[in-house]
Amino acid sequence: MTVSPGPTPSLIDRLTGRGRPVRGDQNVVVLHDVTMRYPNGKEALKDVDLVVPEGDFVFLVGPSGAGKSTLMKLLIRDLLATHGDVLVDGHDLARIPRRMVPRVRRKIGIVFQDFKLLPRKTVWENVAFALEVTGSPRRNIRPSVDRVLALVGLTAQADQVPTQLSGGEQQRTAIARALVHDPRLIIADEPTGNLDPVISWEIIQLLLRINELGVTILMGTHDAEVVTALRKRVVALEDGRVIRDETGAAYHRED
Amino acid sequence: MLTFVVFSFRRAWQGFWRNALMSLAATLTMVLMLLLLAGFFILQNVLLASLSYVEQKVEVVAYIENTATQGQVGELVAKIDAMPETASVEFVSRDEALRRFRETQAAQGREDLTKYLEANPLYASINVKLTAPGDLDTVVAALRDEPIVRNVLNIEALVDRVVTVTTFVRTAGVAMVAIVGLIVLFIIVNTIRLAVVARAEEIEIMRLVGASDAFIRWPFVFEGALVGLFGALITLGLLYAAADPLSSAMVGFFNVLPLQFGSLARDTAVIVTATGLGLGVLGSWLSVRTYLIR
Repeated sequence: MTVSPGPTPSLIDRLTGRGRPVRGDQNVVVLHDVTMRYPNGKEALKDVDLVVPEGDFVFLVGPSGAGKSTLMKLLIRDLLATHGDVLVDGHDLARIPRRMVPRVRRKIGIVFQDFKLLPRKTVWENVAFALEVTGSPRRNIRPSVDRVLALVGLTAQADQVPTQLSGGEQQRTAIARALVHDPRLIIADEPTGNLDPVISWEIIQLLLRINELGVTILMGTHDAEVVTALRKRVVALEDGRVIRDETGAAYHRED
Repeated sequence: MLTFVVFSFRRAWQGFWRNALMSLAATLTMVLMLLLLAGFFILQNVLLASLSYVEQKVEVVAYIENTATQGQVGELVAKIDAMPETASVEFVSRDEALRRFRETQAAQGREDLTKYLEANPLYASINVKLTAPGDLDTVVAALRDEPIVRNVLNIEALVDRVVTVTTFVRTAGVAMVAIVGLIVLFIIVNTIRLAVVARAEEIEIMRLVGASDAFIRWPFVFEGALVGLFGALITLGLLYAAADPLSSAMVGFFNVLPLQFGSLARDTAVIVTATGLGLGVLGSWLSVRTYLIR
């Protein structure tokens, strides 16, 4: 069974309309014919097409070095594609001015395998940090942080520092930080890679709940059990190419 | 805008104290380097002061004919004094010359032989101090042209030597301060870079959550300024504590040195503060820049 929900060419053409953001569009991520070649000549992505509609939950799978991380770096414009178009929430990342980059990044929440929390700050401060450094007025910070901490279930741990928390709690802190800007998209790069299976399921449940609230989720993972059990859309990368893009799929090809 | 400035200051202050060890290392390096710079600067000024002291010793002595009238001498003194190359002109009468001669003889413990003389054998003279020893020729020529001037004491060889030495010492002093300044620049910028690199993760997180470049850069720049300011204050404190014993030692060594301590202290304070602040800001600016340009 190979279902390709790939978009019609006309849609791609419309989305890649040069320069101007496409408004009122329902696709959060659009990659069109994207090739990424590093300065050392290595091609990390080759002719990748990917469209993620709003509200989707996508598992990005594939062996190490297949290009998952490169793809995620392209989405946050940490890298610029050598060729092709990358659109996030209608912004063509190659064409927006540099000063717009932080604004686009605020529409994306990022979660990493290693949490990337600041060890000297409390849970509350770690989450508030994301708002402080983006210039949010101080009076708006407290209610926003309290709200996301309640959502991830860490209200009681707000005053603890990361070293006092379990791995799962640390990752939930990171998810709270990713959510605090009210993002359109959550990018999670192996969010359960450092966690034991039970805790992993907690994190997945949390991401599913966030997805139900309408936030699009793109999750890179090696966790075959989780992917197969959930029957969500699976995009498989291998050697820089999309080799499979199925909805309701398992971790491995099933034909 | 106000939110931004308040935010940057608060973050800079927090950053400084929460990374106390790195801040301490950077501040101490700053102090050490500023002390080095201030030391060379003060040394250079002491040197310059000693040089001008030596240069002031250069005096053109023109002996006056005994036939010259008081009016003629007064005219000559006024004329020479009006020349831009001269700093001061002093008329020494024959009696005064004799008195001074006796004084020096007595001071050296020699017998006063002049008492055997029937008349005063000395000539009256005008002693001219120069603004700059290089102008010797002009002043000497002007004096020689005067009819009432008997002769001008020839000190050209001495002046030449003084000019050569002072020019060399001045150039070498400036070069030394410049070289030390450059070394100080590199070491301080590098130390601050280390302090910034130690917090690469924090900067990384700021970038990922969508902080604009200004929000990433300015707290670090303020923090660098803080390091510079603290460094400068500590340096000035140390210099102040060392100033009294040092200057009395110097006065003892050079005897009476015409050193303007007031203005030197002020200049040193300005240089130390400006260098500290400037290098702190420059160092942070350059170090953070590495993380912003992608």
